[in-house]
Amino acid sequence: MTAIEDVSSFIVDTGLKLGADEIAAMTVRGISKQVRFANSEITVTQTWDETSAGILLKKDRRALVASVTDLSKEGLRKALRDLLHTARVMKPHESYAPLPEGPFKYQPIEGLYDKRVSQLGDEAVDYVEAAINSALASGGKRTAGTLLAKNTEYSLVTSKNVEATHRKTAVNLAVRCLANGESSGMGVACGTNLGDLNPEEAGEEAGRLAKMSLNPVAGKSGRYNVVLSRIASAVIFDIMAGMDSAFYVDYGRSSLVDRLGERMASEKLSICDDAQVKGGMGSTPFDDEGYPTGKTSIVEKGVLRSYLHNSFTAKKYQTRSTANAGWIDPHAWNIIVEGGEPSEEELLGEVKAGLYVNNITYVRFQDYRQGDFSAVVRDGVFAIEKGEITKAVKGLRLSENLIHVLQNITALSRDARQISHWWMEWDTPSVKTPLLSLRDIGFTVPTK
Amino acid sequence: MDLTAFAVAHASKLGAEYAEARLQSDVGNVYLMKNGNPEVAGFVRERGLGIRVLVNGGLGFASVNLLNKRLVEKRVREAVGMARASVRVMRKPIRLSDEKTFEDRWEVKPKVPFDNVSVEEKMSLFSDLNKTVSSPEEVGISIPYRVFQLIEKTTEKHFVNSGGTILSSRIPRILFLGLLTGHETSKGTEQDSIEKAESRGWEAMKEWNLMDHVKERAKILGKILKTAEEAPKERVDLILGNQVVGLMVHESTGHPYEADRILGREAAQAGESFVTRDMLGKRIGAEVVSVVDDPTLKNSYGYYLYDDEGVSARRRFLMKDGIINEFLHNRETASEMGVSSNASARASSFDREPLVRMGNTFMLPGDYAFEELVEDVQLGVYIKTFGEWNIDDRRYNMRFVGRECYLIEKGDVKGMIRRPILELTTPGFYGSIDALDKSLTFEGATCGKGDPGQGMPVWHGGPNARLRNIRLGGI
Repeated sequence: MTAIEDVSSFIVDTGLKLGADEIAAMTVRGISKQVRFANSEITVTQTWDETSAGILLKKDRRALVASVTDLSKEGLRKALRDLLHTARVMKPHESYAPLPEGPFKYQPIEGLYDKRVSQLGDEAVDYVEAAINSALASGGKRTAGTLLAKNTEYSLVTSKNVEATHRKTAVNLAVRCLANGESSGMGVACGTNLGDLNPEEAGEEAGRLAKMSLNPVAGKSGRYNVVLSRIASAVIFDIMAGMDSAFYVDYGRSSLVDRLGERMASEKLSICDDAQVKGGMGSTPFDDEGYPTGKTSIVEKGVLRSYLHNSFTAKKYQTRSTANAGWIDPHAWNIIVEGGEPSEEELLGEVKAGLYVNNITYVRFQDYRQGDFSAVVRDGVFAIEKGEITKAVKGLRLSENLIHVLQNITALSRDARQISHWWMEWDTPSVKTPLLSLRDIGFTVPTK
Repeated sequence: MDLTAFAVAHASKLGAEYAEARLQSDVGNVYLMKNGNPEVAGFVRERGLGIRVLVNGGLGFASVNLLNKRLVEKRVREAVGMARASVRVMRKPIRLSDEKTFEDRWEVKPKVPFDNVSVEEKMSLFSDLNKTVSSPEEVGISIPYRVFQLIEKTTEKHFVNSGGTILSSRIPRILFLGLLTGHETSKGTEQDSIEKAESRGWEAMKEWNLMDHVKERAKILGKILKTAEEAPKERVDLILGNQVVGLMVHESTGHPYEADRILGREAAQAGESFVTRDMLGKRIGAEVVSVVDDPTLKNSYGYYLYDDEGVSARRRFLMKDGIINEFLHNRETASEMGVSSNASARASSFDREPLVRMGNTFMLPGDYAFEELVEDVQLGVYIKTFGEWNIDDRRYNMRFVGRECYLIEKGDVKGMIRRPILELTTPGFYGSIDALDKSLTFEGATCGKGDPGQGMPVWHGGPNARLRNIRLGGI
């Protein structure tokens, strides 16, 4: 049994026969290809051909999930029996909610599938070669990175009259260029379409920033005006989106607890989650429970408007699902940060003295609830003097509070771009963000 | 012929100079209780085949989970083709070190298999923990957020390579995670993460004595919120607790001694290393400091006897008496540096290529008693546990923020200090250590690396360590 719709239907039919009250099955078939490179040469090529089934089973107000790769009828029956057995001895879920009653109408979303991505073969090597050559031509000495091409099909069937399918492709190229051990730059190209993949541009950006990062001066501890690139801004909004999940609010793993309706960010900041974006890497017509997706305003002019919900968290918070399920935790699809007025040059030109930061990595919190964190900045950290980048700076660590960062946004550039990269550790599929300008941002240095 | 042997034979037939196949299954259960309420429990039933080939010096990897011969054949052909195509963008072919071949079967036998313990018993443990820590009378503080998670997983592997190695293994692993958020009006919140992990059956859970451990950690949150004061501004001596030392050696010896980082293979993601291949034999720390990585420690979370390239595991002496002594190698990096692999290749699941990883990394203990470390400190801070930490991509500039911390005055441990910031370079850390006590404890952790990411079970540990003349960080 390899047709994914057949697998989903078999799971639902069999689960009901075995005694489940409700059941949902999401079968996913994905073929992904990756080319990794380092020291300007390819280190490995990889192909993943995987078909797996996710199962949500509900029985007597208990809910359990399973991820199964043995899709034989026997394997699926065993998984369902295991789930039912465990459901019988669990305690009921505090915020139990039934699956939504279908059928639903799902709006098709444009630009999510590109046949050329699904057919990408050896020519992936050509893209990597182009990125490497561009990075080296722009001043880098060595370059490293990853090209990933994904082709994924989804089939959701639930016992509440939902039968839905969806397919999409994704390409993601990350290029990091080193001019020496301490001087690096990074460029990213990503999207759902092969046309989104511009290896020369990503390579050029990485190489240029690496070259600009040569001969850095040691940074000093203190508070600075800061401009964050899109790559760096995406890390901040990836975390914020993760913390906006009602599951993590309830967990205490969020700085957004008890802030609904509060002006918790600069009034220049408006953020939404939009699952229907044309060409959005996280776009999907339906969530994991079968609800038709849409757009949810998260922050409107600095005021926190909504958490992201599935049926269970919505029940707990006495609100409606925002169609962001995740069976266990709701999550964002595509985070969209509204751009501002100034161009990139104008935004930079407004900074009399400060720092430009191209990448934020290794963000770790002392206290998620309060939002105190630090992070390593890299891949292009520069001093800004009189609106211009003047020299590279090394050794600084971003030492901040998430809410303080959001409150101190002074400007957003006009043009937002979709970003997805390895250091977005909260796994938001994509963040469309402009450059950010911030004031009074703390940086520290080692004392010995 | 089984599928692993078939995959290897097929790759060889298509021209691979080396091939390996790993059939791996992971059967795991995840239980979660949040603020006293059981959350959606989860099962993972994962099984598949990972195949790696070396063709004309190009490396290819492919994985499938539908275990039929036709699909395996197709993906092996593709892996060989992609590896061959990649050679065009290579200056030097990849080679693997020559290693002994083995035919062996190894396993960790649980005293109490996970399935022998009812779900009711597992969940009642969480209920008891929740009841205790949610009682201010018991722990002296309000803990409004209480999350407990249990992950039990059994991994089985069957490995075959074209050199003739055939290995089978079975290993159970158990992981307990807790996140407590204490709250005190006017003082805000303080959080603590608790992690216990071993390669054992349910018996580990009983021996951890979780009730006392979690209760103690909750009480500490209350003491921090109610009594902790600001850290001294002047230079101090530091006593770093076992937990802090353990993570520091993981981050600043383990990672930068991974030979693939040294050679630049991880540059785009986690980064490279300030350590270069010509630094072997150079001094990096004080003479009292030695750091080892040993995957063969019984019951350890990072336990294994053969790595995922079929090389027999042994203790690696990374730093000896303050001198850089040995790097962590897989067969590729070993060949590049002209040595033998020391069995550091690990893959987190069937669909991940083996990478250079740590097993159990720890600083060897010294000969002081803890009291002796403290007795001649005039002004100091004892950082027993940490919260926030990070380190730059070359593993040179690191930061740890203390959680449970105490002031030391004239040789006595006094009241609590809140969130001292330790921000040091790696040589600054290892060069400032002047004494270690006799204790040695370990913490379980899941170490992240690679693209796509691979979470790898590890232990890190060490003794309590004394550092002289440090200025605490911050703005």
